[in-house]
Amino acid sequence: MSMEDYDYLFKIVLIGNAGVGKTCLVRRFTQGLFPPGQGATIGVDFMIKTVEIKGEKVKLQIWDTAGQERFRSITQSYYRSANALILTYDITCEDSFRCLPEWLREIEQYANNQVVTILVGNKIDLAEKREVLRQRAEEFAEAQSMLYLETSAKESDNVEKLFLDLACELIREAKQNTLDNNDTAPMPGEGKTISYLSCCSSLN
Amino acid sequence: MEEQGSPTVRRGGPECLSAVSAETIESLTELEDLERIYAQLCAEETDVQNELETLVAQQSTIETKMLALQRMGPNLQLIEGDATQLSGMISFTCSLAENVSSKVRQLDLTKKRLYQAIQRADDILDLKFCTDGVQTALRNQDYEQAAAHIHRYLSLDQSVIELSRQGGESSAVEASLALLQEAELSLKALVTKRLEEAVASSDLPQVERFFKILPLLGLHEKGLALFAQYLCSQLASKAEENLILAVGSDVGERRAPVIFADTLTLLLEGIARIVETHQPIVETYYGPGRLCTLLTHLQKECDTQAQKIVNKFIQQRDYHSKFQVVQSSMMRGVTTEKIEPRELDPVLSEVTLMNSRAELYLRFLRRRITADFEVADAMAAEAVSQEHQQSLERLLKDCQLSRTMQELIGYYIPMEEYYMRETVNKAVAMDAAETGQLTSSMVDDVFYIVKKCISRALTSGSSDCVCAMINHATSVLETDFREVLVCKLRAGYPVSALQDLQRGVSSAVSMMQSSLQHGKIQTLGIESQEQAKSAYLVTLNNVEVCSANIITLKKNLENDCAKLFSQGMGSEHAQAKIDSCLSDLVNTSSKFKDLLQEGLLELNNTAIKPQVKPWISNFLSISHNIEEEEFSEYEANDPWVQQLIVQLERLMAEFKVGLSPVIYDTLSSLMTNLIAMEMEKTVFKCTFSRLGGLQFDKELRSLVAYLSSVTSWTIRDKFARLTQMATILNLERVSEILDYWGPNSGPLTWRLTPAEVRQVLALRVDFRSEDIKRLRL
Ligand SMILES: Nc1nc2c(ncn2[C@@H]2O[C@H](COP(=O)(O)OP(=O)(O)OP(=O)(O)O)[C@@H](O)[C@H]2O)c(=O)[nH]1
Ligand SMILES: [Mg+2]
Repeated sequence: MSMEDYDYLFKIVLIGNAGVGKTCLVRRFTQGLFPPGQGATIGVDFMIKTVEIKGEKVKLQIWDTAGQERFRSITQSYYRSANALILTYDITCEDSFRCLPEWLREIEQYANNQVVTILVGNKIDLAEKREVLRQRAEEFAEAQSMLYLETSAKESDNVEKLFLDLACELIREAKQNTLDNNDTAPMPGEGKTISYLSCCSSLN
Repeated sequence: MEEQGSPTVRRGGPECLSAVSAETIESLTELEDLERIYAQLCAEETDVQNELETLVAQQSTIETKMLALQRMGPNLQLIEGDATQLSGMISFTCSLAENVSSKVRQLDLTKKRLYQAIQRADDILDLKFCTDGVQTALRNQDYEQAAAHIHRYLSLDQSVIELSRQGGESSAVEASLALLQEAELSLKALVTKRLEEAVASSDLPQVERFFKILPLLGLHEKGLALFAQYLCSQLASKAEENLILAVGSDVGERRAPVIFADTLTLLLEGIARIVETHQPIVETYYGPGRLCTLLTHLQKECDTQAQKIVNKFIQQRDYHSKFQVVQSSMMRGVTTEKIEPRELDPVLSEVTLMNSRAELYLRFLRRRITADFEVADAMAAEAVSQEHQQSLERLLKDCQLSRTMQELIGYYIPMEEYYMRETVNKAVAMDAAETGQLTSSMVDDVFYIVKKCISRALTSGSSDCVCAMINHATSVLETDFREVLVCKLRAGYPVSALQDLQRGVSSAVSMMQSSLQHGKIQTLGIESQEQAKSAYLVTLNNVEVCSANIITLKKNLENDCAKLFSQGMGSEHAQAKIDSCLSDLVNTSSKFKDLLQEGLLELNNTAIKPQVKPWISNFLSISHNIEEEEFSEYEANDPWVQQLIVQLERLMAEFKVGLSPVIYDTLSSLMTNLIAMEMEKTVFKCTFSRLGGLQFDKELRSLVAYLSSVTSWTIRDKFARLTQMATILNLERVSEILDYWGPNSGPLTWRLTPAEVRQVLALRVDFRSEDIKRLRL
């Protein structure tokens, strides 16, 4: 790890209904473009972008999952190792908002419990077609203690902010974690290992 | 050339060339001066004389040159006249050439017009010929001939036909055209109908006959559609036949477990064969670039037939109900209904086989269609080839076959995951350690299972499927299986009552304490205690093997993937995804290494430290404030260190046989650290005479020699401080320390601080504290 040219590596997984614009968000962020006629994602796509935050190199490994039901079992296998989840819906599609609880159940079931989740309402450029009020989404996000952001992949609104804010939050948590760990386990190693003597078993 | 005259002449000149002016001469009065001036003037005169002579000598040369010039005059006049004439000639030639070339151009134009006229005459003749020919051919039912005439007519220049209409023969041409158009329409209808009939009656020779005629009439799309319809009906009947055979086949047959995969394979191979057989006539009669259209038609039938096969597979293999049972038992953990993982084996293999066949087929389509487009688009515009590329992507991505396979794989992954978890659980439950073996059965079993599941996913040929299974494997190893090992380690290494007694501590209390520490009252007998001990050691070995096995697993998978990729599976992008998932897998190896480290620390704390500490504190009960007599007594009868060595030997023997060499070595190193630390603390609690210091030095040497022999680590470094303490305790006088200190230290690096040196010196009963205080360190 020390051989590589970065200070942090985070895995970010995008989830949400088909067609809400996950792929467009990722391509806007990683390639700076809005792909015309973007087809549905098959399985999972994978992209890497390294950003610099306060002088530290942060490598973001972005997994863009397919929203279509038949790919669910593939995408679920990525939750566990994700550092952050971007749960996306389409503000012009009530249905994509109503499916959010279902997505939250998936997160609950498969993701690790330190995962950072952010709710994203995409396509705000289509203001006249809005079906989900901002306040409603904000309240929902707050109730689930998620961050909330509205974006437009098309107009490049808040896309950069989405990923950079997330990276900042992940750095903050990583720093917090190493602090906490140094109290209990003085051994060097992976940030998240906890001494087995001090953690309670789930298998008793 | 009067010598006197010359100054006079010069005086009258416009400039005075002499350095001496006339006035100067006139004003001279002294003879001496006059003589000097005279001499000067004489010298000047000689110079001038010389100059004049040179000039005069040149006169004849100059004259010769003048003569030559005068003779050249008339020649120059001649040349001028010639030049004027030449220029006139050139401009004349030029205008002549221009004249000629314009005539040639006119000639060219005339020729072109002539050709056009001939062409038009030909066309008109052709038109007539076609009109007559079509009629005859139609009458004779010679459709090929008729179509050839229409083809000729269709390829005539439309503007020529328009012009012909306006020409002198307009009415005749008009009549021919009307006839031709009528013939074209009826021929199109007729040939299409005949092709339809041939398709309906599955008459291959007739199908091929009319299929070849349609493109002559510009009916490419129609021709391909009808031909595809024929091919589809062939495909359908063959596929249905195969499916009936499959469903009715005997379960005992060798291929029975993969009969649906085989049936699907037959279907897809059938299409591949169609491409092989019919692509040449399509390309010959329809031109390149049509394969995609044909295959798009065929794909619809392929989708229908594949769906039928898959439906039968789902039905006969209880695919969905198996999935549901698996899903509910994974969601809720324990359920009433549970599937034996072994029962899933065949169906999981069959599904991956089906998917690999479909992937192979789709790759075949991509290769063939791309090659066909490449030929057709060699000269085409970028936009055209892009449009072609898109239609290919649409065909491959949106076909029902792809979607059906994606659904099957969608169910496969949770079932394979279940298979892996359940089988791993079984391996753990049936774990057995054979005596004499360092590891127990479950480690090999677990890695065998994990490898098997990922390999099966690999045979599917779908990189997303492989990635998903690698992710699950990482989760099973890092969470589930690691947790099993953690639990075993958490049971602890039991401290036996015997050891407690040996230790000589008030045993009942300590036994109670150690039992309470481990969360249970120790009711274990000696025998089960021995089992618990070896279980702990086996677990440590297991943990180490796990971390090594993960690295091996990753390497093997990498090789397997490379093999598949070299056969064309997936893109570079797919490879990058797999690499990323594999690197997550290999990272879990270090988690096992950490666990091993923790387990060893625990072992050191519970099994080694409590024993070694009192052995070392025994040192206190051996006086080191001794005289000659006791020193010899000690020499004859070792009071401490030999016993310590025997005790250590006995203590470590059990670990030496029970732990892998690498782990044992690490444990020895931990023990050595512990001994060094305890010794140091103990020595500071003693007092020494000169001979006592010598005694300690001997003891320390024995101990270091022993420890060096049992581990591969360098011991000297760990004992550096103690060795230096022994050196100090061996000094004759306090001031002798200065022979070793500071500038005199030589190669020795002091590990003791000056304060510590004083502290050690103070342990010597015969050293005066004032001397120690006075030392300048
Ligand atoms: N107006 C507008 N359209 C958008 C925006 N983002 C995405 N779209 C459109 O929404 C459609 C779906 O976008 P994708 O990015 O493919 O959606 P997805 O979430 O990746 O879909 P799946 O891969 O099937 O899960 C495309 O037609 C995009 O052009 C946006 O910000 N504004
Ligand atoms: Mg997408």
